[in-house]
Amino acid sequence: MAEKGNTNIDHLGGVVRLREEHQKVVKECQSRIQHWKKVLGDYEALDDRLRTLPDQLCYDIMVPFGPLAFMPGKLVHTNEVTVLLGDNWFTKCSAKQAQKIVEHRMKHVGSQLDDVTKTMKNFEARVGLAKDLESMSSNKGDYVDIREEVGNNDSAVTKGKQRIAHKPNSKPKMDVVIGLKEEDEAETGDTGRSKGITTEEELWARLDELERLEELQDEQDRLSDNADMNGEDTSSSSSEEEKEAEAAPPVNGLSLKPSWSSVPPSVQPLRDRKEEDYEEDGSCLPTIFFFHTVEPKKVRINTGKNTTLKFSERKEQKEHSKRKKKNGHSNGHSHHELHKITTPADIYRLFVDVKNGEPIPRKSILKSRSRENSVCSDTSESSAADFEERRMVGRSFSHDETMHSDTSDGIAEEDSPTAMPLQTPSRFEAFSGKVVEKDPMPSTVPYLTIVPPALPTILERKQEEVAPDVTPPEQAPKRVSKFKAARLQQK
Amino acid sequence: MDLLLLSVSDVSMSVSARQKLETQAAENNIVKEELELLDSSNTVFKLIGPVLVKQDLDEAKATVAKRLEYINGEIQRYETLLKDLEKKSEHQREVLTSLQQDFQKAQGLIAGKV
Repeated sequence: MAEKGNTNIDHLGGVVRLREEHQKVVKECQSRIQHWKKVLGDYEALDDRLRTLPDQLCYDIMVPFGPLAFMPGKLVHTNEVTVLLGDNWFTKCSAKQAQKIVEHRMKHVGSQLDDVTKTMKNFEARVGLAKDLESMSSNKGDYVDIREEVGNNDSAVTKGKQRIAHKPNSKPKMDVVIGLKEEDEAETGDTGRSKGITTEEELWARLDELERLEELQDEQDRLSDNADMNGEDTSSSSSEEEKEAEAAPPVNGLSLKPSWSSVPPSVQPLRDRKEEDYEEDGSCLPTIFFFHTVEPKKVRINTGKNTTLKFSERKEQKEHSKRKKKNGHSNGHSHHELHKITTPADIYRLFVDVKNGEPIPRKSILKSRSRENSVCSDTSESSAADFEERRMVGRSFSHDETMHSDTSDGIAEEDSPTAMPLQTPSRFEAFSGKVVEKDPMPSTVPYLTIVPPALPTILERKQEEVAPDVTPPEQAPKRVSKFKAARLQQK
Repeated sequence: MDLLLLSVSDVSMSVSARQKLETQAAENNIVKEELELLDSSNTVFKLIGPVLVKQDLDEAKATVAKRLEYINGEIQRYETLLKDLEKKSEHQREVLTSLQQDFQKAQGLIAGKV
């Protein structure tokens, strides 16, 4: 067996030897069987002798006298037999007793014989098997030995080893080239054997690319939609609004300002109202458009230059630029696109208060804004970010109305937006909580949350220009009910 | 290698000794059974050299029993000894195989180099 090698010859040799060994055992068994059979025969003869011996008192016999001579003699005491029990023990007993002993022994012998016979048969079978094996390995008979060369042990082993159990949410690092390779293989499940490190990196790069493409696509879609909707002057803001509107739904629950997320219908009209410049595309979408109040502030602070894009979304900037190109609007409008909210995280990015020209993450609406509100109750230039934003929003709103006639941005919905504002204040109750309370400018209250951060700069600028005029009177009457404020504004 | 052979020889010796004991044990068992079958009318002899010495039946029975016990004890002892020897030989075999593998590797290397 040990001699069996990879070649058939070796196998053959091994099998032959095996067969031979088996045959030896078989022969041995056969010899043993013969021995036992002989013993059994002897015992049978003895048994007969013992049976007949007591028949006579004495027998005349030729007694062996040494190895070569015999002597006539008599056999007496025929019934007395000295029996060897075993291990040098003797006993004198009668013939019958001796017979019994003999019987016992015969039994014993018979059992031995059976054992040996069994063994012999067993080995005979093995011999047959060895013969067959021999014929198979030599390809003589009909049986063919199927052999499979196992040469991929290494790869299999390595593959198994290379399966690294990644921790959940763990991303293979790009710098670990080798590890990447292994992980890649493990991840791809032996598909990436040929893929190297580069593939992994390429994959990531590709993923990023696709992501960007997707975003661009969305922008394009939106642009096209906007283009469709905007008959005339599609304001980038409107398209942006659309975008934001679309993005708003997910942001619904995360309203920066008061929680008027619960009032989608109200939002829509609000949005419409706010979107004076913007086209009325919200009607087709049951979305909530959030107008970030930061926007106006931002614009204001930066003297009309929307450089403080707190939410540095390249995507939005891109869209921004695109919209700019398409719509020929100023940067202000393009900001809307920048403020497109696609994920909750975007909110925090977009809705950042601008305090003194620096982006500050907006606080939760649940947190008190008393300081801010109280501080920035007066001028639009006040430091309070939210307040300013709100004012801006309000201003934008009011300006929206005013700008109907003035600006070229707001267009189609001039009428509708104007009408809406009346309704909106009432609906803005929900969010007006924090903002409204502290905001002495009722007009700004309702619009604050709606105004998207990406309000067009132009609009804002104009708002700025106009706002100072409008806001002071609005701000002056502090603690005016929001409804009243809204009404005032609408006027 | 030598150690392995020694161990192997030890093993074989132990094995043969154990086999002998086993046959003796079997024999004594038979004697015991036969003695039980006998009654007091039969005289029992023990062969000591060329002399048959008369023995008492009970004595004989006792003697046989003792001998049987002794034999069994011996068998046990030999069994444990055998196990130890087997282990030793196995260990030696492993060492041998490892050496052989190294040797083959070395040969392979040499062949490769050549």
